[in-house]
Amino acid sequence: MKPARGQLKTGFDSVRGAKWRNFWTMLGIIIGVSSVITVVGIGQGIKNQISGQINYLGKDLITIRPSSLRTGGDQSLDTYNVLSGLSITGSLQDKDVQAVSKAPGVRASAPLSAISTTVKSEKGQYKKGLVIGTSASLPNLLNQPLEFGTFLDPDDPGARAAVLGKAAAEAMFESDVPLGFTFSINGQDFIVRGIFDQFKNTPLSDEANFNTAIFIPYDVSQELTKNSGAIYEILAKPATSSPVDTTIASIKTQLNQTHGNQDNFTVLRQDENIAARSEVLDLLTRLITGVAAISLLVGGIGIMNVMLVSVTERMHEIGIRKAIGATNRQILSQFVIESALLSFVGGIIGVALAFIVNGLLRFFTNLRPDISWQIVLIASGVSLAVGIIFGSVPALKAARKDPIEALRTII
Amino acid sequence: MALIELKDVSKLYGFGDATTLALDEVSVTIERGEFVAVMGPSGCGKSSLMNVIGLLDRPSHGNYKLDGRKVAKLRANRAARVRRDTIGFIFQSYNLLPRLSILENVALPLAYKGVSVKKRIRQASTMLERVGIQNREYFMPSQLSGGQLQCAAIARALVNNPKLIIADEPTGNLDSESSRLVMELLSEIHKTGNTVLFVTHNPELTRYATRVLYMHDGNIIHDEQTAIGQVAATARKVLYTLPTTNEEDDLAGVSALMRARPDVPSVGRKVTRPKSRSTKKAASKRKTSVRRKKADV
Ligand SMILES: Nc1ncnc2c1ncn2[C@@H]1O[C@H](COP(=O)(O)OP(=O)(O)OP(=O)(O)O)[C@@H](O)[C@H]1O
Ligand SMILES: [Mg+2]
Repeated sequence: MKPARGQLKTGFDSVRGAKWRNFWTMLGIIIGVSSVITVVGIGQGIKNQISGQINYLGKDLITIRPSSLRTGGDQSLDTYNVLSGLSITGSLQDKDVQAVSKAPGVRASAPLSAISTTVKSEKGQYKKGLVIGTSASLPNLLNQPLEFGTFLDPDDPGARAAVLGKAAAEAMFESDVPLGFTFSINGQDFIVRGIFDQFKNTPLSDEANFNTAIFIPYDVSQELTKNSGAIYEILAKPATSSPVDTTIASIKTQLNQTHGNQDNFTVLRQDENIAARSEVLDLLTRLITGVAAISLLVGGIGIMNVMLVSVTERMHEIGIRKAIGATNRQILSQFVIESALLSFVGGIIGVALAFIVNGLLRFFTNLRPDISWQIVLIASGVSLAVGIIFGSVPALKAARKDPIEALRTII
Repeated sequence: MALIELKDVSKLYGFGDATTLALDEVSVTIERGEFVAVMGPSGCGKSSLMNVIGLLDRPSHGNYKLDGRKVAKLRANRAARVRRDTIGFIFQSYNLLPRLSILENVALPLAYKGVSVKKRIRQASTMLERVGIQNREYFMPSQLSGGQLQCAAIARALVNNPKLIIADEPTGNLDSESSRLVMELLSEIHKTGNTVLFVTHNPELTRYATRVLYMHDGNIIHDEQTAIGQVAATARKVLYTLPTTNEEDDLAGVSALMRARPDVPSVGRKVTRPKSRSTKKAASKRKTSVRRKKADV
């Protein structure tokens, strides 16, 4: 439409005028758009990393956790102790570990039991990591190679031996390869048998803790805590001949026997496990996106304010335009287009800023934000809509002004 | 059918005790092709009349037919379209948009009409050529002299080829030389068949008109047909006999003087009557630097 093109040009002309004021006007939108895109991008990035984990841990890894984990619609955050994992007071017992390992179809299994202890090494007390009691099968279950040495000896479950996460090894010892070095847990001496390779950790996953952890034989951990150490997880893998689902069923049967059919445990396939994590993440992402979206709203109000001032300042101009034949609708569209343009340009700058932030995050953190074109489209669309909606109030004010009154207005 | 028919048109401003009667049951008919000068002391309602006739303002009472159509109570958007298609405005203070170039300013009425960009640039350019400032097309209004600005404003008023041109004190901010230029332009427009209405405080300028309306206190007190090229009789009387009663007349007199005696400085001189037309030529050769400014609300 020809007149619309003229209006668009008028809008451009006005925006071209006061550059800095326009920047401040757009700031709200810029921040809003870039934070929405960044937050959603981070969420998506983490999800990608988690699903990348499936391949790396293997689809057949089975996780047994205490208490039942709902995956339905009515979750609340506290259901998702998966986030911390360790805060669950264990209802998994010694006998459960036995039950799982004896369940038909299970090739290997390992408990994970975090205990609270005092660790002292040549560098002093070590507080950064967990002490985890586990069994010899762990590296195999997690597909996790060791960098140096060997893992715990399956034939010597009572040995005072330990395997360190890479970060733990660096923090506890001066030596680069502290194999054979000793340190103490609750006053008892332990020998370093091996050091893990870097765990391919993802944010929010349990493996994130493993780099700083100290792994000792499960029996020893029980001994140290006088059998009060909580098992927060049992990992298992089925034998190649046994399908995952069949194995899970047999594990459930075994555990139900030991738990007296109380069903206060959960057996998850790896993909279910990840789905649960993704849900928490979705919830968080949505929450933060909501907050970020509010800044879009605030940005819209900012645009409305500036446009109101602009309309007042330009009342004389409006009068002239009306005198030479501009209809109310043409004045209206001029100002709506102007504010839409402001917020749209703000949106574009916001998108650009989001990409810059994305780059910085990738460089300085282990986050891998994933910005999809959909969210870019949505964010800039919303910013355009905000401009139109909030711009229409000042535009109406301009359009309805009596021509002679507008003409008489002197700023 | 007359172009403009006003019947008992009144215009009131304000409410209650603060009410001002700017137009007091004015009735006037203006035919096509007339070149009408409106004169009268400040505050007598000249601008109010122009605004009503130009559909910028609505009369409080009375009937108004423009081109045979009742327009006294026209809705805003329709009035805008009538202004766009039939009326061209020229203001004392030029009223060009400061952030648009001269060409864009002149093309603006066409934009509101929906003419394509290419076409309106061409038309605006032609119009600027016609008023003699085509070489200033891409200048901003702030880079032009008052006379040039008014020429641009005239080009803008003409660009939609309106039937009626309304000029409220078009020479009010200009020196005599520029005033003459502007009046010559209006004259030309008139010759091509347009109806021109202009307000002035300068009796000299009634030379260009075919008819002079004298207003006082919201009434048209005298309506005089006059020959082009001659100062209207009543206006001449004002020029010769009336002492300079107010600043406006004073200024008008000074400009007449400058035109009469270009060789002497005008400052401090008494008002004398202007000489014949031939002296104007002498004045035009000389670059006048005296500017008169008048506050206009
Ligand atoms: N918006 C307004 N509100 C109130 N009174 C007004 C308004 N506009 C004009 N008036 C009054 O109406 C009367 C006529 O004003 P108008 O502007 O028509 O005079 P004018 O003849 O154009 O004067 P000038 O020669 O000084 O331009 C004046 O008394 C003026 O004070
Ligand atoms: Mg006036």
